[in-house]
Amino acid sequence: MDADSQQLIGVMDRRVDRRNERRDLFRMALGTAVGAGAFAYASAAAAQATVSDADILNFALNLEYLEAQFYAYAFGGAGLPANLQTPGASAPAGGTQGTVRVRAGETGQPRAVAFGTAADERAVQQYAREIAADELAHVTFLRTALGASAVAQPALDISGGQSGAFTAAARAAGLFDAGIPGDVAAAAGLDPAARTFDPYANSNAFLLGAFIFEDVGVTAYKGASPLIGNATFLQAAAGILAVEAYHAAIVRTTLYARGVAVPQLRAATTLISNARDALDGTADLDQGIEPVTVAGQPASNIVPLDASGIAFSRSAAQVLNIVYLNRSAVTMGGFFPAGVNGTIRAAAAN
Amino acid sequence: MTIDRTLDLIARTEARRRARRGFLKAGTGVALAAGSLSLLSGCGGDDDPAPTPTPAPGPSLDADVLNFALQLEYLEAQFYSYAATGAGLSAALLSGTGTAGRVADAGSATGPRQVGFTDPVIAQYAREIAGDEAAHVAFLRQALGGAAVAMPDINISGTSDGAFTAFARRARVIPDTGSFDPYANENNFLLAAFVFEDVGVTAYMGGVPLLTNKTYLEAAAGIHAAEAYHAGLIRTLLYRRGLDTADFLSAAQRVSDLRDELDGEPERDEGIGTATAGNIVPADGNAIAFVRTPEQVLNILYLNRGRSTSGGFFPAGLNGTFKTSADN
Repeated sequence: MDADSQQLIGVMDRRVDRRNERRDLFRMALGTAVGAGAFAYASAAAAQATVSDADILNFALNLEYLEAQFYAYAFGGAGLPANLQTPGASAPAGGTQGTVRVRAGETGQPRAVAFGTAADERAVQQYAREIAADELAHVTFLRTALGASAVAQPALDISGGQSGAFTAAARAAGLFDAGIPGDVAAAAGLDPAARTFDPYANSNAFLLGAFIFEDVGVTAYKGASPLIGNATFLQAAAGILAVEAYHAAIVRTTLYARGVAVPQLRAATTLISNARDALDGTADLDQGIEPVTVAGQPASNIVPLDASGIAFSRSAAQVLNIVYLNRSAVTMGGFFPAGVNGTIRAAAAN
Repeated sequence: MTIDRTLDLIARTEARRRARRGFLKAGTGVALAAGSLSLLSGCGGDDDPAPTPTPAPGPSLDADVLNFALQLEYLEAQFYSYAATGAGLSAALLSGTGTAGRVADAGSATGPRQVGFTDPVIAQYAREIAGDEAAHVAFLRQALGGAAVAMPDINISGTSDGAFTAFARRARVIPDTGSFDPYANENNFLLAAFVFEDVGVTAYMGGVPLLTNKTYLEAAAGIHAAEAYHAGLIRTLLYRRGLDTADFLSAAQRVSDLRDELDGEPERDEGIGTATAGNIVPADGNAIAFVRTPEQVLNILYLNRGRSTSGGFFPAGLNGTFKTSADN
């Protein structure tokens, strides 16, 4: 285990405790008034410098390119149509059109997940189909809204091979240091010997891969909501935020249900969540799905919320820390090997 | 599966939604600065106009919007609280301006009560959502301070004259003479939760852009997200059960159809799909969630497609400014 992983695991243990305490606290609001100060939460987005609506929508478009490509491959083995990857005529400087990186010599490359025929498998295949269509529609919608200002799809790494971004994310989360038994690991796309994570290996792997992205999208749209000036775009962004939250709930609920038989799936979400939290700064903005104990009774944790029952916000820079897989103020890495396109490009220094 | 088939499937999913929803014509290429305001109103199609405008924004409107949201949260929080724990919200969370009400049939053996969950995982979901909704009530009350409205009369009963029974009869989920008791078993609980959840999402979707205070706006967006997570949770569970027992799929469709009938044109509600075409996320052709105005939300909760100031789940109507449903 490298030093980073050890540090991450230390952080995550504390965070599980904190999350339990916090969820306990507000769940006891059932029947009691919560303490003063519930409204005095920090607005992560408010501190950002002024940016234009086009800057924000282009930032969102980068994230949608990433999600759309992942789901398009996972559902059926093909990426977005080429005409949905090009830049508009007057796209802002900063970045160029790229492709989905494929490394011919490695396993774990983007491809269709081979879903089984049992009902549990058919359900996940339906989810993949629906989410793929939704993300494609988001790309189309944002490109149309931005018109000539739309940025091109940047280079993307959605691979699960030895040098793929999914593998890097899984290593950073400590998934190979968590003592997951070999058969369980294989059933979740994890190869403990090679230390690779292939999100296309099977349905569990696909769900964990999706988990890495989904809540990030929700926090990104929420963080952007107060920055959007145009009321029509604000309404549209709120609608995309809701759809991303529906997606996140599908993924989290399904992993939670499967976690009855395979608790390591739930534990893996905590590890991934804590890795995201370690990347995006000191605030605890993320939660896995593992059950919490409330007055002696277990409750699920499908919805990642603060003590007021409100979803978290991330600034654009914090989102970039996660998708670049780097806690420093870098401009590329991880799932975006050449960085995102547009004016918002740099991660935060955390 | 070939590449072509994949794209074809995605395209067909899109086509299905476009056919029903109208679609923002691709390639319109509206310039951001000039065309942005016409973007949604120019969605084309005959059934996807811009949201019905609600009153002009202003500082006092923020409180009106938050008070409207508070009363939806009272309704949801009481339902989940009884279902998960057998008890309602504490009295300290119910006071405020306007007419204070009560939960009908509370304490009765056939009224709101703890569900006898057979699957412990469903009980865990219920406890989670109950906690979230109670937190929303507490949060909104704190944000509103002295301006918070009291909980109005609420009917969440599954008795023969209860609001859930009235809804289920009208949705043809049960016969005209039947009763629908959401607390009788976990399947009924999930379907009852489905009645409310997507309504909350569309309501916050309509409310978020009305808020002028950016702090409120961001908070409302966060509650909006929470409601969408809840709705996604419930719809995912119903869908999974529907793959084993198709009745879940048809019941959800009927509930959705009734909501659509009550809230007027256009069609803006969706069931959870079929075994070969799941539809967990109710969204338009752009994969953007639907909007309801407060008036349209009240059509559903009052169980009345006409102009009304009370009925259904709110037998004495709402407190505050938004209390009249639309005339559909």
